[in-house]
Amino acid sequence: MDNQPKNQISRKGLTVWRVYGSMETAVIALIAIGAGVLTYFFDWPQWLYAIYGAVILLFGVVLIFWFPKIRWQRWRYEVREHEIELQHGLFIVTRTLVPMVRVQHVDTEQGPILRKYDLAEISISTAATTHTIPALVTAEADELRARISVLARVAEDDV
Amino acid sequence: MYEGRYKLHPISAFLNFIKGMKELLLPFIIIFGVNIFRGDGISSMFNQGWQGMIPLIVGGAVLLFLLVAGIIKWKRFVYWFEDGELRIEYGLFVKKKRYIPFERIQSLNYAEGIFHRPLGLVKVKVETAGSGKVGQAEAELTAISREDADRIEKEMEKAKHQLSREKTPIIGPVEFVEAPAKKTTKTLYHMSMKELLILATTSSGIGVVISAVAIFLSQFSEFIPYDAVYEEIILFLRFGALIVALTIFVVLVMAWVISVIMTIVANYQFTIQYDEDRIYITRGLLEKKKVSIPLKRVQGIKISQNPLRELFGYATVVVESAGGSVGDKDEKIRLFPLVKTDRMLPILEELFPELEWTPQLVGAPKRSIHFFYRLNLVWLSPMFAAVGYFFYPYGLLALLIVPVVIVIGIWQHRTVGYALGDRQLTAQFRGLSKHRYFILKKRIQVVQVTQSYFERRKGIASIHSTIKSGMMGATATTPHMEKEDASRILTWYKPLGAKEQSS
Repeated sequence: MDNQPKNQISRKGLTVWRVYGSMETAVIALIAIGAGVLTYFFDWPQWLYAIYGAVILLFGVVLIFWFPKIRWQRWRYEVREHEIELQHGLFIVTRTLVPMVRVQHVDTEQGPILRKYDLAEISISTAATTHTIPALVTAEADELRARISVLARVAEDDV
Repeated sequence: MYEGRYKLHPISAFLNFIKGMKELLLPFIIIFGVNIFRGDGISSMFNQGWQGMIPLIVGGAVLLFLLVAGIIKWKRFVYWFEDGELRIEYGLFVKKKRYIPFERIQSLNYAEGIFHRPLGLVKVKVETAGSGKVGQAEAELTAISREDADRIEKEMEKAKHQLSREKTPIIGPVEFVEAPAKKTTKTLYHMSMKELLILATTSSGIGVVISAVAIFLSQFSEFIPYDAVYEEIILFLRFGALIVALTIFVVLVMAWVISVIMTIVANYQFTIQYDEDRIYITRGLLEKKKVSIPLKRVQGIKISQNPLRELFGYATVVVESAGGSVGDKDEKIRLFPLVKTDRMLPILEELFPELEWTPQLVGAPKRSIHFFYRLNLVWLSPMFAAVGYFFYPYGLLALLIVPVVIVIGIWQHRTVGYALGDRQLTAQFRGLSKHRYFILKKRIQVVQVTQSYFERRKGIASIHSTIKSGMMGATATTPHMEKEDASRILTWYKPLGAKEQSS
């Protein structure tokens, strides 16, 4: 329980999450600016500007710096011969144990932003659930996918 | 092998027609409803000459089309047996062929509707293991005679038998494979009228009916001539709130009675039978349904008790089964819609001898108790503040929810528990109803352990075990347990090979 899985996800994953965070902050900033314009034209009280500014700042700090950092530090995975172990979570930390016997198939996937950073995410599917490791270097992800699929084929039911 | 092609019973044409009508019912109601109630009722349609008749003509044409389509569908549907496969050819405009190898067929499910019964027909659903492709290799024979259904089953047995005979010589010395003895089907359980009544009267289906009545009434409220009714209502109101309350009460009672009748009709003569590898459930008054569950596909058993039934010692037993057709509500098959707990145990023991049914549960530690209600209270507090502020002073009555939430939390805390056997996990938890899952280790797909920040500080963890159920998963959650218990379950769940390596 206390010994965490060994591997961390790529350091570049943190950068990607910061990029996502910046985008989200940009959306919030747009909304806040819209509200600011309304405030200007309708002569709402002046102190509202301060609140808009504070909201942008708060979300910026939280979404760009704080959350990605915690998430990145917390993300661990380990692929052993008979099982896969994952750990992730922001407020609630989730530990997941997937036996190799239960793995049905493995996918890697790469969006435009991930491709730019030469990263890929890898999804492990069982009959009932899907688990994703969000940011691995592409070569590493391909290698891991191949390894899991071999291990999953070899694994035998022990019950 | 080629023995000729079989057709469905002619009544299928009519059934196809009815089915098509059912699907078009809603658009029809909307189109006609709008047209009829826009003017001064139906009569206006005829006054406007042929233009007013357009909806009627369109409707008639659609009905005619449905009828013809139904007949053509029946005409073109043929099935036959060839090369150990069930082959079906059908299609309205495009001819489609579907070949299903007999060994891939998981089960044949029968249903008898009101039109089937008098003619001695059945509807047969062919279920396969669900190759993941939605809706593929699956067939429905709308109406065939009993004998035809038996013939399919016989043909299936024959093909499987032949297959095993072809294989044996390769494996070893020639052995005579004896024809499989006719499987003995044993009746395990027959629901008594008393149980059926209790089921019907305590069913939560009542909620559905009440909302249905509400919708029904709200629909009709648009058609009621309000001006005329208005004066009556004033008069009505003079009689006072008593009458209003009485009316509501009567409506509720009626809703309840309808729900009771519906449940009785659906579960009439509920019977469980089984042979070596299948459970059969038969039920229904108007439409008799027979469902078969291959024992191999059972993933887990869930026993649920809502508070009312728990009080009287009754429970519902659900079988979580894998695969099958998508969107079929029968995936979570109710093995017992309602049964007295002491009567259910021997039957479950006979059906699933490998499971331990009365394990000693380990409960949650005392210090975890506030996790069961604290977060809910935090979420509710803005609501309390808002209601209290805007509806002062009566809004403060909302605070009465606080003790309710706490009591439910304490109740949940007392219910939660788990037990580890050699090969089995038992997990018990409560929303408002009590649920208990019995799962074999080899059926668990994934185990997850979660800890929030506060749980981590107190050494508490929640455990989620997921099994396959239908095309999706079902998760048994035991929240807020001792951290050591979570570790124990994780270690227990680790595959044997891994454990040997680490020790």
